[in-house]
Amino acid sequence: MNESLAEHRTTGKVDFRMRGVVGVWLRHYTAFKGGWMVEMTGIILEPVFILAAVAFGIGKLVGDVEIRDGGVGYAVFVAPGIVVGNAMWHALFECSWGAYRRLQTNRIYDSILAAPVSMRELALGEVAWGATRALMTTAAVLAFATVMGLVESPWAVGILGIGLLTGFMFGGFGLIAAAVAPSTHMLTLVFTMVGTPLFFFSGTFFPISTLPSWVQPIAWALPLTHPVRIARALSTGDLHMGLLWSLLYLIVAALVFYPIATRLLRRRLLV
Amino acid sequence: MVRATGLVKKFGDFIAVDGISFAVQRGETFGMLGPNGAGKTSTLRMMSGLSPVTSGQLEIDGIDATANPRSIRDVIGVVSQHDGLDPDISVRDNLTIYGFYFGLDRKMAARRADEVLGFFDLRSRGGDSVDDLSGGMRRRLTIARAFVSRPRLVVLDEPTTGLDPSSRNRVWEQLAVLKNSGVTVVMSTHYMEEATILCDRLVIMDEGRILGAGTPEELIRERAGADVAQVRPEAGQRDSVHHQLKETDYEFAEIGAIFTVRASNGTRADLTKISGARVSFRPPNLEDVFLSLTGRGLRDE
Repeated sequence: MNESLAEHRTTGKVDFRMRGVVGVWLRHYTAFKGGWMVEMTGIILEPVFILAAVAFGIGKLVGDVEIRDGGVGYAVFVAPGIVVGNAMWHALFECSWGAYRRLQTNRIYDSILAAPVSMRELALGEVAWGATRALMTTAAVLAFATVMGLVESPWAVGILGIGLLTGFMFGGFGLIAAAVAPSTHMLTLVFTMVGTPLFFFSGTFFPISTLPSWVQPIAWALPLTHPVRIARALSTGDLHMGLLWSLLYLIVAALVFYPIATRLLRRRLLV
Repeated sequence: MVRATGLVKKFGDFIAVDGISFAVQRGETFGMLGPNGAGKTSTLRMMSGLSPVTSGQLEIDGIDATANPRSIRDVIGVVSQHDGLDPDISVRDNLTIYGFYFGLDRKMAARRADEVLGFFDLRSRGGDSVDDLSGGMRRRLTIARAFVSRPRLVVLDEPTTGLDPSSRNRVWEQLAVLKNSGVTVVMSTHYMEEATILCDRLVIMDEGRILGAGTPEELIRERAGADVAQVRPEAGQRDSVHHQLKETDYEFAEIGAIFTVRASNGTRADLTKISGARVSFRPPNLEDVFLSLTGRGLRDE
């Protein structure tokens, strides 16, 4: 297309204003504040139901699960996966469905971009808010899991950071989907084709080692696998150097997605 | 304030703006009058730093718009055709958050929000949702939002399209007051009344080109003649009237079911001789200017 995208030239290293990012985040915070009771209920209840079902029901039927340093109860095994999995859902929802509504239905992006906010700042503000939502749900579900006695190590506090990074990664991914989706119908595919399989096959509900051997490398490549792995280690106190690879994966993915989203949004909006 | 030279906007092979040049003086209200697809919105989007310039020069308040779109957005206020108001936050927050984007601190943004809400008669609606506003109020809020940052230049894309006549008049009144406050305004419209009432100078655009420029009075005087006759054929007489008109030497065009004839001093007598039609005369307006420049009416598609 047009190589001389004017916006492109201005958003280099020199022209980045934190105010733009904060402004977009503030807009989301203001909207959230308006209906936070309803929002928080949604944030907390669903994972609470799942956790309760696992702790009181399924966990009693399933035996211990083998992890690196021995066996843990099934509910203890699953809890960190549900915490981080929910962080993914929230960031993904906010930055794909929510962002698409702002972009296409209400055309709010057009107004924001008519103010001195660059596309990069707008995208970063969106993703930062997605990560904030992820952090909120992480904190809420983690607290509940702790009360239920499913958390075994004080290192579990670190899961908050993992939830935030997970939110950043999937916020960026969601925003890419919003930027390319021609309609809301297409956008729902993000949930059915990406969200759901990731939620179930990223070592969340069963160890990856139980999958057929040819599927295991695929499971290891999935983006949710790595935050789940770190969160589980933090929750059980089973820390080791190998986790640094997962952390590296998480950080790189968090940094890679949103610039792609920025680029795609520019192509869609600044024509 | 604005200087465009050979400005071009292409979308693929389609040329939306075909090398236009114009200049807007500080403090004036400058109009772009033309039908849909004339290139007005594309021009305004380029001026707003929202659309890359394909070629040509565009300078706004001394800033090169092709290289610094963000610096331009610091000093202008934009009112686009779709309001782009935020239904998830209150009317007042729509303004305060917008002020924050422009670098106002939160106290200042709140003060400016109250000022513009007052000016646009929306003070009592500050806590409401945007969805509860009428079309006219939404439009006024959109214009109010553009003024929150005290812009030096305001760009309005068809500010009253889709409004009922009384809301439209209200917007015109408020724009007229703002205009007197010294802000520079560039607006597009396809309503000739709007252009006549609000614009100090205007250009007439069609198919990406500027066909004429001047004050409304100059354009009318130079392009539309002294008088305009409207010849309305009676039932079944269209062809006969058409034939009679052809036999005169006058320039005419058929819009809808009416022949519009550009008339001069001696015309009256000639035209009243036409049979099978009612003939009336009126002063010329910008619509006639457009007609004489393009051979089409402003609202023809």
